Amino acid sequence: MESVFQLLAALAVVVGTTFSALGILGVLRMPDVYTRLHATGKIGVFGAVLLLVAAILVLPKGAGKGIVLIFFLLLAGPVTAHSLSSAAYRIGIPFAKPMRNDLAAVTETFDADEQAEPQRKA
Amino acid sequence: MLASVLNIVLVASLVIHMVLMVVALRRLWRGENIVDRLLGADITTTLTIAVLVLLAVLNRNSLYLDVALGLAALGFVATVALAKYIADEQMF
Repeated sequence: MESVFQLLAALAVVVGTTFSALGILGVLRMPDVYTRLHATGKIGVFGAVLLLVAAILVLPKGAGKGIVLIFFLLLAGPVTAHSLSSAAYRIGIPFAKPMRNDLAAVTETFDADEQAEPQRKA
Repeated sequence: MLASVLNIVLVASLVIHMVLMVVALRRLWRGENIVDRLLGADITTTLTIAVLVLLAVLNRNSLYLDVALGLAALGFVATVALAKYIADEQMF
């Protein structure tokens, strides 16, 4: 039974590493920050989580920690990507290629809100 | 016999993650704008977590998973706080 787990763990490590490599390749190849964020999600979600699956298979005592870490990584990945992209949009980083900007209509309301009650500038 | 196959795969994966880490750190150092550099920092954190998990499996010791959990929590809070700081000049 032990060797089956180790075989599956080896397979999970290989697939996890390829996802990490593809994520970094995406980061290098993508034209601007927004698309690059798309690639980083893969590393955090698929790369680390598959390695954790291997860890859970091989380490009997570490199963609980692995599951907690998998849950946290799956939770934290999208949130960091969203916060980075909204920060990039707010400070006005341009898109590499012209694309349909649904948020443009909404951003006037941001500025209007800003004028209405200026944020506490420390 | 199978344990040696697993160990070889793990060491190879560690080497690959080291190369990926160099790329991420170069992005952190040479990013064209601030969000790019913050992105590099986030990727470096994630890759460090992956390396920690690999070490956990390599040494058959589940202590490294605690370290990875701590690092994941810290990296997440740091990235989100910095992103908010960049967006509107105040963190909280």
